[in-house]
Amino acid sequence: MKKVTVWLVLGLFGMIAASVSGAQGPLEALRGPINEVVSVLQDPQYQRGEQVEAGREKIWSVIGSLFDFTEMAKRSLARNWRVFSPMERKKFSEVFARFLGNTYLDKIQKDYQNEEVVFGKQEMLNSTKASVKTTVMRDTVEIPVDYKMLNRGGGWRVYDVNIEGVSLVKNYRTQFGKILMRKSPADLIERLQKKVAEQKEQGEQE
Amino acid sequence: MMSTAYRLVLLVMVLVSVGCAHTANETAPVMSASAPGENVPEPMKGAVEDPTSDVAAPSAKAAAVPSAGSNEQIRAGAPVAGDDESSVADGQIEDVYLDDDLDFLDEELEEEIYAVSDPLAPWNRMMFNFNDKLYFWFLKPVSSGYVSVVPSLVRSGISNFFDNLSTPIRMTSSLLQGKGTQAQAEFARFLFNTTFGVFGFGSPADDYPHLTKKDEDLGQALGAHGVGNGWYVVWPVLGPSTLRDTVGTVGDAFMNPVSYLPLGASMGITGEKKLNETSYRIGDYETLKEASIDPYEALRDAYLQHRQTKVED
Repeated sequence: MKKVTVWLVLGLFGMIAASVSGAQGPLEALRGPINEVVSVLQDPQYQRGEQVEAGREKIWSVIGSLFDFTEMAKRSLARNWRVFSPMERKKFSEVFARFLGNTYLDKIQKDYQNEEVVFGKQEMLNSTKASVKTTVMRDTVEIPVDYKMLNRGGGWRVYDVNIEGVSLVKNYRTQFGKILMRKSPADLIERLQKKVAEQKEQGEQE
Repeated sequence: MMSTAYRLVLLVMVLVSVGCAHTANETAPVMSASAPGENVPEPMKGAVEDPTSDVAAPSAKAAAVPSAGSNEQIRAGAPVAGDDESSVADGQIEDVYLDDDLDFLDEELEEEIYAVSDPLAPWNRMMFNFNDKLYFWFLKPVSSGYVSVVPSLVRSGISNFFDNLSTPIRMTSSLLQGKGTQAQAEFARFLFNTTFGVFGFGSPADDYPHLTKKDEDLGQALGAHGVGNGWYVVWPVLGPSTLRDTVGTVGDAFMNPVSYLPLGASMGITGEKKLNETSYRIGDYETLKEASIDPYEALRDAYLQHRQTKVED
């Protein structure tokens, strides 16, 4: 009997060790970067002049490691991914990431009014996929923001954001799908590049 | 005898679990590198109804000649705005861009139930443009003026008042969906806010979790009973809707006490309600436009996804 219990205990230890060395869960992997972004937004040091740009760069580097932009690009093209050549896919992913960054980082920095992010539950959809629910509290409203995350061995990274039930990836998928019915992949990439150039101009005008 | 077998099993379990944890990091890149090899003999998955055969042919060509393709692209000298990192040597593209694996689509096909047709697209686009101008030329400037003149306490009071008035709509919709508890909560909230909140301008019920309101309407009730969306329609002034949701809105109007007032008063009050609502959302529409490549499609998709979420909850 004693020997059996010894082996049972060893077995338990083994399983615990395995789950612990699997490292952070998705909620924890999300919490750090998001809190860091919020603290940059709240930091008065980054509110004026050139420091705004520095703040933006900081946020962008945090976001870059948290979000898997290539996966987002792939999922926003869906079937059309196969129509793109590898070089086009690379170009598309890069310009899409830049476009998303310009659009949303600008907005977040300008419109931040002391919103608070409250972390909810994480839900494991399978061993590599999870969804983490958060709520953004503005003064009168609460906005549910869900993050879908993937872990293929390199840690948990976000591949979709769902705001009040609207999935970012699906929204772009509809738009890109419509465009690609009439235009070629190169046309879509060019259109995105034009948008990014416009955003740059607007940024320089202000 | 039994104890030896147990020991062996446990030992194996320990070794396997510890081993799995350590090798998990190594297997991922190996898998993505082997994916391109699977591209050509890929089995046609039954769940995919689209003609993937049309897509597979050009992609097979594209995948078979990646280095030649990338040569062309680099020579064509397509200027990539703001991209300094994309100078890629011949044929040296990261594995992730060679990966044709679209497994995630199989998981998602079950979710995509709401394919809504848009045969009225030309009309809808016209209305979309009209609403766009209406917003920028009228609603936004008036709302901004409204915000600067009216204190936020008053604006939230007005918002609470109108929320209170639309209790019958939420109650009926909840009942029709079998959400009896929610219907009760709406009624209790109405009583509480009308008395303690002074005719609904205040909302002391917000402090009580069992008195929360839930955004429900007739369109959602219809959807919950399996009524499909019908066509996508954009109404002037009222904005995006679908056939089903329009029927719902008309039905809801019967439960809105404001509809029973003389036309002038009714329109004035509804106008004030819309103005007040807009005052909280200035900037949201601009964000949607800036964040989209095709604003009309973006709005349509966002509206449909949003409604689908509300029907399902």
